[in-house]
Amino acid sequence: MPIIVNLDVMMAKRKMSSQELAEKIEITNANLSILKTGKAKAVRFSTLEKICDVLECQPGDILEFRKSE
Amino acid sequence: MWNKNKSLFLSRILTAVAAGLFFLTLFFIPSIAQWYEDFSDTIGLLSSKSVVIPMCIGLYIVEAMAFICLWSLHVLLRNISRNKVFIPENTSCLRRISWTLMLAGAAFAGIGIWRSICLFPAVCVVMLGLVIRVLKNVFEEAVEIKSENDFTI
Repeated sequence: MPIIVNLDVMMAKRKMSSQELAEKIEITNANLSILKTGKAKAVRFSTLEKICDVLECQPGDILEFRKSE
Repeated sequence: MWNKNKSLFLSRILTAVAAGLFFLTLFFIPSIAQWYEDFSDTIGLLSSKSVVIPMCIGLYIVEAMAFICLWSLHVLLRNISRNKVFIPENTSCLRRISWTLMLAGAAFAGIGIWRSICLFPAVCVVMLGLVIRVLKNVFEEAVEIKSENDFTI
Protein backbone atom coordinates (compact mmCIF):
# COMPACT_ATOMS: atom_id res chain seq x y z
CA MET A 1 0.00 0.00 0.00
CA PRO A 2 1.39 3.47 -0.81
CA ILE A 3 0.54 4.81 2.66
CA ILE A 4 3.41 4.03 5.04
CA VAL A 5 2.94 4.09 8.81
CA ASN A 6 6.06 5.42 10.51
CA LEU A 7 4.79 4.85 14.00
CA ASP A 8 7.79 2.84 15.16
CA VAL A 9 10.16 5.61 14.03
CA MET A 10 8.24 8.17 16.09
CA MET A 11 8.06 5.80 19.05
CA ALA A 12 11.83 5.32 18.90
CA LYS A 13 12.34 9.11 18.80
CA ARG A 14 10.16 9.51 21.90
CA LYS A 15 11.69 6.39 23.50
CA MET A 16 8.28 4.90 24.09
CA SER A 17 7.48 1.18 24.19
CA SER A 18 4.54 -0.42 22.36
CA GLN A 19 2.98 -1.45 25.65
CA GLU A 20 3.15 2.10 27.02
CA LEU A 21 1.75 3.67 23.84
CA ALA A 22 -1.07 1.10 23.63
CA GLU A 23 -2.06 1.88 27.21
CA LYS A 24 -1.93 5.64 26.68
CA ILE A 25 -4.00 5.68 23.48
CA GLU A 26 -6.32 2.99 24.88
CA ILE A 27 -6.01 0.34 22.18
CA THR A 28 -4.92 -3.27 22.48
CA ASN A 29 -1.36 -4.38 21.76
CA ALA A 30 -2.70 -6.50 18.91
CA ASN A 31 -4.31 -3.47 17.25
CA LEU A 32 -1.16 -1.40 17.76
CA SER A 33 0.82 -4.17 16.12
CA ILE A 34 -1.60 -4.14 13.13
CA LEU A 35 -1.06 -0.40 12.86
CA LYS A 36 2.73 -0.63 13.15
CA THR A 37 3.08 -3.42 10.60
CA GLY A 38 1.00 -1.56 8.01
CA LYS A 39 -1.76 -4.18 7.97
CA ALA A 40 -4.41 -1.62 8.99
CA LYS A 41 -6.88 -0.62 6.29
CA ALA A 42 -7.98 2.62 8.00
CA VAL A 43 -7.18 4.77 11.03
CA ARG A 44 -9.89 6.58 12.98
CA PHE A 45 -9.37 10.33 13.51
CA SER A 46 -9.85 9.74 17.24
CA THR A 47 -6.97 7.19 17.28
CA LEU A 48 -4.76 9.48 15.22
CA GLU A 49 -5.54 12.35 17.55
CA LYS A 50 -4.54 10.30 20.60
CA ILE A 51 -1.32 9.09 18.94
CA CYS A 52 -0.35 12.66 17.96
CA ASP A 53 -1.19 13.88 21.45
CA VAL A 54 0.84 11.19 23.24
CA LEU A 55 3.82 11.29 20.83
CA GLU A 56 3.65 15.10 20.50
CA CYS A 57 3.79 15.03 16.73
CA GLN A 58 1.77 15.79 13.60
CA PRO A 59 -0.22 13.21 11.54
CA GLY A 60 2.33 13.74 8.76
CA ASP A 61 5.08 12.46 11.06
CA ILE A 62 3.27 9.14 11.36
CA LEU A 63 1.72 8.71 7.93
CA GLU A 64 3.62 9.00 4.69
CA PHE A 65 2.54 8.66 1.07
CA ARG A 66 4.87 6.85 -1.31
CA LYS A 67 3.93 6.36 -4.94
CA SER A 68 3.85 2.65 -5.79
CA GLU A 69 6.13 1.72 -8.69
CA MET B 1 -37.47 -20.59 25.06
CA TRP B 2 -36.43 -20.70 21.40
CA ASN B 3 -33.02 -19.16 20.77
CA LYS B 4 -30.18 -18.96 18.25
CA ASN B 5 -28.35 -22.02 19.63
CA LYS B 6 -31.44 -24.22 19.47
CA SER B 7 -32.11 -23.05 15.92
CA LEU B 8 -28.54 -23.92 14.93
CA PHE B 9 -28.85 -27.31 16.63
CA LEU B 10 -32.09 -28.01 14.74
CA SER B 11 -30.40 -27.07 11.44
CA ARG B 12 -27.52 -29.43 12.19
CA ILE B 13 -29.92 -32.26 13.09
CA LEU B 14 -31.91 -31.69 9.90
CA THR B 15 -28.69 -31.72 7.85
CA ALA B 16 -27.67 -35.01 9.47
CA VAL B 17 -31.13 -36.51 8.86
CA ALA B 18 -31.03 -35.39 5.22
CA ALA B 19 -27.58 -36.96 4.84
CA GLY B 20 -28.93 -40.21 6.31
CA LEU B 21 -31.93 -40.20 3.97
CA PHE B 22 -29.74 -39.51 0.93
CA PHE B 23 -27.43 -42.34 2.00
CA LEU B 24 -30.39 -44.75 2.26
CA THR B 25 -31.71 -43.61 -1.12
CA LEU B 26 -28.34 -44.50 -2.63
CA PHE B 27 -29.21 -48.23 -2.35
CA PHE B 28 -32.63 -47.87 -3.98
CA ILE B 29 -31.80 -45.77 -7.03
CA PRO B 30 -32.25 -48.63 -9.55
CA SER B 31 -35.59 -49.56 -7.92
CA ILE B 32 -36.72 -45.91 -7.95
CA ALA B 33 -35.76 -45.63 -11.63
CA GLN B 34 -37.65 -48.84 -12.47
CA TRP B 35 -40.68 -47.71 -10.50
CA TYR B 36 -40.62 -44.35 -12.28
CA GLU B 37 -40.35 -46.08 -15.66
CA ASP B 38 -43.47 -48.13 -14.88
CA PHE B 39 -45.80 -45.30 -14.00
CA SER B 40 -44.45 -42.12 -15.69
CA ASP B 41 -46.09 -40.50 -18.70
CA THR B 42 -44.02 -41.08 -21.80
CA ILE B 43 -43.62 -37.50 -22.93
CA GLY B 44 -40.18 -36.40 -24.05
CA LEU B 45 -37.75 -36.28 -26.95
CA LEU B 46 -36.74 -39.89 -26.37
CA SER B 47 -39.95 -40.96 -24.64
CA SER B 48 -40.12 -44.27 -26.50
CA LYS B 49 -36.80 -45.38 -24.96
CA SER B 50 -36.37 -46.80 -21.44
CA VAL B 51 -35.61 -44.16 -18.81
CA VAL B 52 -34.09 -46.58 -16.28
CA ILE B 53 -30.38 -46.20 -17.15
CA PRO B 54 -30.40 -42.43 -17.78
CA MET B 55 -32.40 -41.94 -14.59
CA CYS B 56 -29.96 -44.09 -12.59
CA ILE B 57 -27.02 -42.05 -13.91
CA GLY B 58 -28.88 -38.78 -13.28
CA LEU B 59 -29.88 -39.73 -9.77
CA TYR B 60 -26.36 -40.89 -8.89
CA ILE B 61 -25.07 -37.48 -10.04
CA VAL B 62 -27.78 -35.76 -7.96
CA GLU B 63 -26.81 -37.92 -4.95
CA ALA B 64 -23.15 -36.97 -5.31
CA MET B 65 -24.10 -33.30 -5.54
CA ALA B 66 -26.38 -33.67 -2.53
CA PHE B 67 -23.53 -35.09 -0.42
CA ILE B 68 -21.18 -32.24 -1.40
CA CYS B 69 -23.98 -29.77 -0.66
CA LEU B 70 -24.74 -31.34 2.73
CA TRP B 71 -21.06 -31.39 3.67
CA SER B 72 -20.84 -27.68 2.80
CA LEU B 73 -23.92 -27.02 4.92
CA HIS B 74 -22.30 -28.92 7.79
CA VAL B 75 -19.11 -26.80 7.51
CA LEU B 76 -21.21 -23.64 7.29
CA LEU B 77 -23.24 -24.50 10.39
CA ARG B 78 -20.10 -25.52 12.30
CA ASN B 79 -18.47 -22.17 11.53
CA ILE B 80 -21.61 -20.26 12.48
CA SER B 81 -21.76 -22.09 15.81
CA ARG B 82 -18.13 -21.02 16.42
CA ASN B 83 -19.14 -17.41 15.74
CA LYS B 84 -17.15 -17.38 12.52
CA VAL B 85 -19.77 -16.08 10.13
CA PHE B 86 -18.21 -13.64 7.68
CA ILE B 87 -15.12 -15.61 6.73
CA PRO B 88 -13.88 -16.60 3.25
CA GLU B 89 -14.43 -20.32 4.03
CA ASN B 90 -18.18 -19.71 4.32
CA THR B 91 -18.20 -17.90 0.98
CA SER B 92 -16.50 -20.95 -0.55
CA CYS B 93 -19.19 -23.17 0.99
CA LEU B 94 -21.95 -21.06 -0.55
CA ARG B 95 -20.17 -21.10 -3.91
CA ARG B 96 -19.88 -24.90 -3.71
CA ILE B 97 -23.58 -25.26 -2.77
CA SER B 98 -24.55 -23.03 -5.68
CA TRP B 99 -22.53 -25.08 -8.18
CA THR B 100 -23.78 -28.41 -6.85
CA LEU B 101 -27.38 -27.20 -7.25
CA MET B 102 -26.67 -26.04 -10.80
CA LEU B 103 -25.12 -29.43 -11.65
CA ALA B 104 -28.02 -31.29 -10.01
CA GLY B 105 -30.35 -29.15 -12.13
CA ALA B 106 -28.36 -30.10 -15.21
CA ALA B 107 -28.69 -33.79 -14.27
CA PHE B 108 -32.47 -33.41 -13.96
CA ALA B 109 -32.53 -31.58 -17.29
CA GLY B 110 -30.66 -34.55 -18.77
CA ILE B 111 -33.36 -36.94 -17.54
CA GLY B 112 -35.84 -34.47 -19.04
CA ILE B 113 -34.79 -35.65 -22.52
CA TRP B 114 -36.46 -38.97 -21.73
CA ARG B 115 -39.25 -37.67 -19.52
CA SER B 116 -40.17 -33.99 -19.96
CA ILE B 117 -41.66 -33.67 -16.46
CA CYS B 118 -38.10 -33.77 -15.05
CA LEU B 119 -37.48 -30.35 -16.59
CA PHE B 120 -39.67 -28.91 -13.83
CA PRO B 121 -37.38 -29.96 -10.90
CA ALA B 122 -34.42 -28.97 -13.10
CA VAL B 123 -35.68 -25.39 -13.39
CA CYS B 124 -36.52 -25.26 -9.65
CA VAL B 125 -33.07 -26.53 -8.59
CA VAL B 126 -31.22 -24.22 -11.01
CA MET B 127 -33.26 -21.26 -9.72
CA LEU B 128 -32.34 -22.21 -6.14
CA GLY B 129 -28.69 -22.43 -7.21
CA LEU B 130 -28.97 -18.96 -8.72
CA VAL B 131 -30.43 -17.55 -5.49
CA ILE B 132 -27.60 -19.12 -3.47
CA ARG B 133 -25.10 -17.65 -5.95
CA VAL B 134 -26.47 -14.15 -5.39
CA LEU B 135 -26.33 -14.77 -1.62
CA LYS B 136 -22.71 -15.82 -2.09
CA ASN B 137 -22.00 -12.50 -3.81
CA VAL B 138 -23.61 -10.61 -0.92
CA PHE B 139 -21.61 -12.69 1.56
CA GLU B 140 -18.38 -11.99 -0.31
CA GLU B 141 -19.03 -8.27 0.00
CA ALA B 142 -19.88 -8.68 3.71
CA VAL B 143 -16.58 -10.51 4.31
CA GLU B 144 -14.74 -7.59 2.68
CA ILE B 145 -16.61 -5.02 4.79
CA LYS B 146 -15.92 -7.01 7.97
CA SER B 147 -12.24 -7.28 7.13
CA GLU B 148 -12.08 -3.51 6.57
CA ASN B 149 -13.89 -2.94 9.86
CA ASP B 150 -11.56 -5.32 11.72
CA PHE B 151 -8.51 -3.53 10.36
CA THR B 152 -9.74 -0.05 11.18
CA ILE B 153 -7.85 1.02 14.26
